[in-house]
Amino acid sequence: MSDLLLPTQIDLLHVSAVILLIATFGIVVRRGFSDWLHAYRYQTIILAGIVALIGFITSIWELYIVSALTLGIKAIIIPKVLFYVTKKLDSPIKLEMNPYVSLRISVIASALLVAMSYFMALQLPISSDETISVFLPVSFSLFFIGLFIIISRRKALSQIVGLLTIENGLFLFAVVVTHGFSLIIEIGLMADILVGVIVSSILLFRMSKTFDSIDIENLESLRDD
Amino acid sequence: MFATIFSSVESMLVVSLLLTPVVSGLLITLLKRKRIIETTTVISSLLILTQGLFLLPYILEKKTISIFDGTFYLDSLSAIMIITISLVGFLASLYSVNYMGRQYDKLIVDGKKLVRYYQGFNMFLFTMLLVPVSNNLGIMWIAIEATTLVSVLLIMLYTKQGSIEASWKYLLIATVGLSLALFGIIFFYYANSVYDNSFDSTHGMDWTNMVENAPHFDPNLVKFAFIFILVGFGTKAGLAPMHTWLPDAHSEAPSPISALLSGVLLNCAFYGLLRFHIISSHSIGPEFSNTLLIVLGIISLGIAAASIYFQKDVKRMLAFSSIEHMGLISVSVGFGIFLGIYGALLHVINHAVVKSLLFFSSGSISQKYQTKSIADTSGIIKTMPITGFMFLIGGLAIIGMPPFNIFMSEFLMLSSGFSSENFLVSALVILFLVVIFASFGKHLLHMVFGNPKSEMKKEDLGKLSILPMIILVSIIFIMGIYVPEPLQTLIEDATKIILVGGINS
Repeated sequence: MSDLLLPTQIDLLHVSAVILLIATFGIVVRRGFSDWLHAYRYQTIILAGIVALIGFITSIWELYIVSALTLGIKAIIIPKVLFYVTKKLDSPIKLEMNPYVSLRISVIASALLVAMSYFMALQLPISSDETISVFLPVSFSLFFIGLFIIISRRKALSQIVGLLTIENGLFLFAVVVTHGFSLIIEIGLMADILVGVIVSSILLFRMSKTFDSIDIENLESLRDD
Repeated sequence: MFATIFSSVESMLVVSLLLTPVVSGLLITLLKRKRIIETTTVISSLLILTQGLFLLPYILEKKTISIFDGTFYLDSLSAIMIITISLVGFLASLYSVNYMGRQYDKLIVDGKKLVRYYQGFNMFLFTMLLVPVSNNLGIMWIAIEATTLVSVLLIMLYTKQGSIEASWKYLLIATVGLSLALFGIIFFYYANSVYDNSFDSTHGMDWTNMVENAPHFDPNLVKFAFIFILVGFGTKAGLAPMHTWLPDAHSEAPSPISALLSGVLLNCAFYGLLRFHIISSHSIGPEFSNTLLIVLGIISLGIAAASIYFQKDVKRMLAFSSIEHMGLISVSVGFGIFLGIYGALLHVINHAVVKSLLFFSSGSISQKYQTKSIADTSGIIKTMPITGFMFLIGGLAIIGMPPFNIFMSEFLMLSSGFSSENFLVSALVILFLVVIFASFGKHLLHMVFGNPKSEMKKEDLGKLSILPMIILVSIIFIMGIYVPEPLQTLIEDATKIILVGGINS
């Protein structure tokens, strides 16, 4: 990427990065299962847009295909699968009633994680250009917030959403730093994620059948004592 | 593309090696009859084993095989993995016929689940075989993640509370861990792309390409990346303190699958780690990664020793013993001298053989005693003489008694520790091994020679459950006395690859 970017392009980069972060916070601040899935869908749609934008800037045509794949698999199919699962779950209340960390503190913690990501991105020995300096901290934020969602929530579904957020962060990181892997690997990764979502949906069904809830508090019987 | 498949015998062998489990999985989906799917799986895994063995002379002679423009790349290190996977895979399929047959008779699994089991079994073999043959590190990562997904389905087969809990933990922890590894891979890829401006994205991720360019990587970036890789693949390889999913997953799975998980899958993840260890050593010298490997290995040994001492469940004890042995392998690779790495690679094979024997026999034992508790399982030698004898041999071998195979490799590893002047580390290893020797030995003697709690019919569980164990025991005896010539050369070549990173050496 040798030539300088146009000011509008730089604006676009910044705006899309901000929207991406807002969508991610949407998962943190909401309680309802379907709210998370909506937030995840927005997050992924913006991600696909960012990939296409980077494809336009770098004029690497493969990135357009990757963007389309992201839109198709991660923004349409995966939320559909998970919406179907939440609809079929036995438990009548589809809310995260009392997470391990309250929502108010979660928001503060996530904000701190974002700050930490910006700090970390400065420490990395990666040569910086405009796209990298904008998106590298955002991709770390997605990763850490995803991790935080996994450990701070009680419902198994939110852990799946956390995993997917981590994966989105990784994906953004890969696209920004290396301008994407080769197409075959991207397709393999998408297939892995899709299968992973299906496998975890099966597990969710089993869990709600066996324990009558998808609360992970039930999952603490195997231990050495 | 098709021309290259048929261009040489070895490329045909590699392709058919990968296709065999896929075809057999499809056949199982279509045929569905119990007898037929059992035979299909046994035949396909036997085919995989023979193809793996046929590949051996080619690798011994040519050292490396590269197909499809370098997409698949096999060297001695991959060959060791392929042999281990296919050997344990074949024996596990043989054992499955008896074990899953009994579960079927006891109505624990129905016909539908049996079909799913054998489908999963074949796909599991396929994903594991894909790991050592892929040269592209991205594809290797995809294969390792795919092993997680397939094995989660196999672990939750019984859909008991315990197995659901175990598979959920396993899915979460392994996936998060592997995503860290992917971070590391991207860092290495970035380091490669910074050096090599002319790279094209297809080959920039190839292991061969990276090893070649490694001396020019940014050292800080490599250190950063290797830590990610170590934590990521270390999680999947069962290195402590990222091992927490392992005892649950390995103890809740059906026994043949436990054997595959413990004996083979851990090695596959460790293989991924080794590949990056080679790149990192080539780039910034071996000290950095060696130290990290030793530290994690020692922690694993310590945690395993404490957990085995207090253990009440047979299969959990075996799972912790796997953590111990992965730790041992990691420490020994970390010593960084020829003898240590040779011993570690030999130990990879030895551990796979012994651990499968233990899981097979403990599977039969828990089917007979209806419990996995150590306290309630006693006097195996009186109730099921042959299986009890096998279990005894396996137990004695795993704690490192001569004249069995593990004694050989442990001896090599320890003496390499002393000759590389890592005295403190070696002393710690010996201490932990002694603790494990005593506590595992105590549990073992109680289980084998104690008095049976209730009257039980003196009977082993079927020829097909005994046969794979007899094969394993004979391998244990043979490998305890001497390592066959071709295998020796293979391990020596692989050791050289780790030591000098040689692609062409």
